[in-house]
Amino acid sequence: MVKKGQTKRQPWVKNLYSNREYPDNYTDASFLKELRMNLHCRIYTLTEAIAGITVLNNQISCITGFLILYQLMLSDSVSPSTILMPSCGITGIGYLCYRGRSLSWSLLGEDSKTLVTVVFFGYLFSPMLHTLTQAISTDTIYTMTFFVLLGNLIFGHYGLDVAMVSKAISLNAAIFGAICLASRLPTSYHAFVLLVEAAVFFVLYPIMTEANWHAGFMVPIFAICCMALYCISRPVLYLYASTTIFLNFVCPFIFVCQQQYKFNIHGPWDEAIVEENTEENLDDNL
Amino acid sequence: MRICMVSDFFYPSIGGVEEHVYNLSQMLLSLGHKIVVLTHAYGDCSGIRYVTGYLKVYYLPIKVCYNQCILPTAVCNVPMLRAVLVRERVEVVHGHSAFSALAHEALMVGSLLGLKTVFTDHSLFGFADLSAALTNNLLEVNLGMVNHAICVSHIGKENTVLRARVAKNRVSVIPNAVDTALFTPDPQQRPSNDIINIVVASRLVYRKGIDLLAGIIPRFKNTPNVNFIIVGDGPKRDLLEEIREKTNMQERVQMVGAVEHDKVRDFLVRGHIFLNTSLTEAYCMAIVEAASCGLQVVSTSVGGIPEVLPQSLILLAEPEIDAIYAAILIAIDRHQKSSFKVSPPVANGHLPSDANGKVKRRRRRKADTPTYPSQLPSSSAPPADQNSPAEPVMCPYRCNELVETLYNWEDVALRTVKVYDRVLQERSFTTSELVFAVWQHGSWFLVFFVVAHFLMRLLELWRPRKRVELAQDIQRTPS
Repeated sequence: MVKKGQTKRQPWVKNLYSNREYPDNYTDASFLKELRMNLHCRIYTLTEAIAGITVLNNQISCITGFLILYQLMLSDSVSPSTILMPSCGITGIGYLCYRGRSLSWSLLGEDSKTLVTVVFFGYLFSPMLHTLTQAISTDTIYTMTFFVLLGNLIFGHYGLDVAMVSKAISLNAAIFGAICLASRLPTSYHAFVLLVEAAVFFVLYPIMTEANWHAGFMVPIFAICCMALYCISRPVLYLYASTTIFLNFVCPFIFVCQQQYKFNIHGPWDEAIVEENTEENLDDNL
Repeated sequence: MRICMVSDFFYPSIGGVEEHVYNLSQMLLSLGHKIVVLTHAYGDCSGIRYVTGYLKVYYLPIKVCYNQCILPTAVCNVPMLRAVLVRERVEVVHGHSAFSALAHEALMVGSLLGLKTVFTDHSLFGFADLSAALTNNLLEVNLGMVNHAICVSHIGKENTVLRARVAKNRVSVIPNAVDTALFTPDPQQRPSNDIINIVVASRLVYRKGIDLLAGIIPRFKNTPNVNFIIVGDGPKRDLLEEIREKTNMQERVQMVGAVEHDKVRDFLVRGHIFLNTSLTEAYCMAIVEAASCGLQVVSTSVGGIPEVLPQSLILLAEPEIDAIYAAILIAIDRHQKSSFKVSPPVANGHLPSDANGKVKRRRRRKADTPTYPSQLPSSSAPPADQNSPAEPVMCPYRCNELVETLYNWEDVALRTVKVYDRVLQERSFTTSELVFAVWQHGSWFLVFFVVAHFLMRLLELWRPRKRVELAQDIQRTPS
């Protein structure tokens, strides 16, 4: 409510102690001048979104691949050794690629020590792990596996730093699922191979993909999974293919369309952001 | 006028809102209005109590849910609130603080009873996270039913207008105030040698920027004449103590812990520089109290802080360690360069004893109150170039007098009364208008609103308004 008629008025200042001549509910022209909209807002293109979602699809395909191997062993169509040998070879090649130029004898010695320990204890304990969940009914095992692998997907690390992400929960869920499934296999050697495969698929493979991932890799992975599923079960093939395509093309499309509703306002009322002192960075300030 | 102040926050709890409600009520009482304060029970403190100056406080028996707030059920306390409002013949319901669920409920009951409603928003909110979005929606619904809103700073008004979508002319800006008669300087309490005391007084939590403080203290590791006095307690206290250990400054950083509000002055007067590192603040009473005690104020420039004090009283810095450190250095430099000596208090017209000083101040203030609003501080304090270290330090007593011309509770009360007068002339909302307002701002709340409305109807049948026993007013003896 600006009172008109007062000719000589001091200009309004944005502070709390002058402006006596103005009514308290006076709104100056400078009102909301410092309002900023969509300051840190990033609009993604469809290509970016499609390329980004492949990381999630890769994890789904990784789980699918692991389950395919389990099915092959369960149905006895492939012997455990025929699975173990190639995956050992691929792991070796992957290791060389991963270490690359930084490979040295001492590093190789360290890593092989780790490998021998894991394989030795894994082999030693595989009879026990094999019988660990044998008393539980098959339906329970499959339901439980479904949920823990879903947990693996939910808590997985896809390159974003959010509160949900926990690599530890994700990995443990997957290994627990593998131990559950191992009890359905005929011998403890089968169980051992399944656990080795779980380590390859859920520990080593994510390390590789995190280091170098390209959206194009999804095509061969998708093709291999589809082919394997074609031999095993048609309904599962359709389910897998439709889920992947839905996630890879429909979801990014919806996301890109919804981006027009991105709206964020900033202003002087925003809390200043400072780095919180934690145990790690405490000494840097001293 | 019969006014009911409602807030979850009131004494015995301590904080900015509590102080505001208390001081405003006292001032309104002395202006001859009838005030009742509504809050929830604090442990033993329940029932109806009279505090200083026969201020009637209802401590309603409602369980506290989280952070001193009651559970926001919207309808469960309707009968009790209606009984109090009717019994006290309230004309204006004045709610305080957006966090207070009790205030929101009482405002709804008030508007359903056809009373006038005023709401004071004491805090700033962001828009980025989920909790802010939810609180903002609730506030939007409630402010839709309120006649007038009051904010404590211009930034606060911008923030409230944005997040609650109220019309701009329905929002007034009335700042907080500080009792300058209680926060008087006492330079003799300062160390007589060359030591400079930097005082920090706040809750030690993240929002008060304690992480910044933890970065600043180590910078003074090698300046043995700079000491810190840190008043307050909170989760970040461990961090500060760790910093103190690691930098070997146990002798020079005094951690006082939590202190009663009336004891804060004793620590303020011992310092030369007051440091405020808040990350967000709608008004910040602490810096005004410090300036009133004659300290040089160094503060982060966030929220409403740049509006609060004239440049001659405050050094503003961006919320970064380097900027604040530089500002403190300027303050120290000014202090060392200034020729200001602690002159005998009598020369300034103040007696050394605190009690006598208070009496003197009170009397003096009464004498020149009528001329007060015409005193424009801009004329008495020319804007200073902020970053020039040559600027001399103002005499502490001069600071106190200047702050007194800027803020006092009487002015706040008079301006608030203007708002009350204004809303009393407005027509109260009809039920259909209220329904429409709720529908517009957040239709999900209609569920609660309808229940509350029919509950009120039921109560009207069961306990008709005209048969409610009215509360007796205590006749105040003129003091």
